[in-house]
Amino acid sequence: MHVTLSIWQALLIALWVALVESRILGFSTLTMRFSPLMTGMMVGFIMGDIKQAMIVTAAIQLVYMGFVAPGGALPAEPCIATAIAVPVALLGHMSPQGAIAIAVPVGLLGSYLYQFRFFLNTFALKPMDKYAKEGNARGLGFAIMGIPTLISFALFIPLMFIALYFGAPVISGLVANIEHGTLIHVLNSVGGGLAALGIAVIMQVIGKKQLLPFFFLAYFMSVAFAKLDISMTIYAIFGAIFAILYVTFTSKKSTN
Amino acid sequence: MSEEVAATNADVPASEDVQAEEHRIPQPDKITNKDLMKSWFGWWWANEVPHTFDRMLAPAFCFGLIPTLKKLYKDKTELAKAFQRHLLFFNTQATWGGGTLTGVTISLEEARAKALANGEEPISEDMINNTKVGLMGPLAGIGDSIDSGTVQYIFIAIFLPFAQKGNFMGALLPFLCFAIATFTYGYYFTKMGYSLGRAAAKEIMTGGRMAGIIDGLGVLGLYMMGILAGQYIKIQSYLKFTISKKTFDVQDILNTILPGILPLFAVLMLYWYFQKQGLKITRGLVYLTIALVVLSIFYVI
Repeated sequence: MHVTLSIWQALLIALWVALVESRILGFSTLTMRFSPLMTGMMVGFIMGDIKQAMIVTAAIQLVYMGFVAPGGALPAEPCIATAIAVPVALLGHMSPQGAIAIAVPVGLLGSYLYQFRFFLNTFALKPMDKYAKEGNARGLGFAIMGIPTLISFALFIPLMFIALYFGAPVISGLVANIEHGTLIHVLNSVGGGLAALGIAVIMQVIGKKQLLPFFFLAYFMSVAFAKLDISMTIYAIFGAIFAILYVTFTSKKSTN
Repeated sequence: MSEEVAATNADVPASEDVQAEEHRIPQPDKITNKDLMKSWFGWWWANEVPHTFDRMLAPAFCFGLIPTLKKLYKDKTELAKAFQRHLLFFNTQATWGGGTLTGVTISLEEARAKALANGEEPISEDMINNTKVGLMGPLAGIGDSIDSGTVQYIFIAIFLPFAQKGNFMGALLPFLCFAIATFTYGYYFTKMGYSLGRAAAKEIMTGGRMAGIIDGLGVLGLYMMGILAGQYIKIQSYLKFTISKKTFDVQDILNTILPGILPLFAVLMLYWYFQKQGLKITRGLVYLTIALVVLSIFYVI
């Protein structure tokens, strides 16, 4: 099957990415952002090859399996990665593994784009303070929802369109060049280390120093038992048991 | 303006009533399940849209509360004060944290509005804020690991074979299941938070059982953060040096001393920075990125 990427197809994919990355479709966009599946499906619909798009996307999903964003910092953007990697793979008749090699670096670059959105929001949302002070509910609602949505669309649609329409053919060549270079090493290291931020933020927010031993207990449990591949649910059950024990013993002490 | 002045001048005998009215605000409307759904939906919809570095998800939380606050505070100054206090720093997870706290906050705001209307001692603004801030961290720790870390991947894992065969249902079904499940139990948490918060409002003020619940959630939250730190932070040293023809691999040496020391070091440095300087997240992000870039350019990490 011969697939092409017209101006309209590139625009539609860019619009989809803006819808997901602006988060304007509510909390359910979490799984559209963390998982490549929905983006891969949309790219398949738009480019007219759902079957191959899903096969490539399933391979990319395996790379991002188990991705979470502790405290809000995701180390890569699977949605952006997929929106570029799947069209490139479909155009070039590439293997799913080739698509992964494109998705990973694009995803790392994309995570900076998402952080940049927070940065723009930080300054652009100032009018909300004015409306709050006036008790103006309508203005407040617009400042909170309207402004950041416009920012996201202005940020993601042009960039994604340019990357897809002009960049998609160039990207595969570029990725082959940087795959083993220092740039990709730096991106990988930064992506791998940034998760520390969200965790430290939550530790500070919980703010009870006397409970810190439980953080260390869990950290060394997960390091020591890494090879056992224990699921998150089992760890959550351990955590709940420790929490119940802690509350039971400390409350007894105070009543005696 | 001139009409108002004329009106007050005309009502001279009623001036005492006017003065009393100034201290009291009009009676709030009753909060129904429909209002709880409106606020839960508002928070669910806005959630990550207005995310900023300095206040995180506070604007989204405030957006969800707008329709409820309008019913509670018919007085413009009190309404403005309520809007402003919910735009202060706030960050949590959407369902376990945000759902529950939307409910709890509405019940506290309702108690405050009623007290103001009846001329009684109201719950203070600090008290409402402290309750939110005290619960948001522990609940976020739980919610992040359960919703995005477990529930999401259970659905993806179940339907992934469809995707691998090229069927689009492998994408659509996990999305629909996740969206419906989280929306449903998030609303349940909102309702639970509302009824629990109304009963627990007094207890929070005096300490008691609520302090135990916050402690327990703190233990679970910190515990889950420890697990996530161990599994998701990837920092290791690539430094190798040769002394008299013997090669030393720094990561191997670190592993013999204490495995996983570098990720732990990164978290503790950031935590220490926040302890000293307050919660300056943007600066923490910038310093961490600079450190990671510089170290990785020279292949130290």
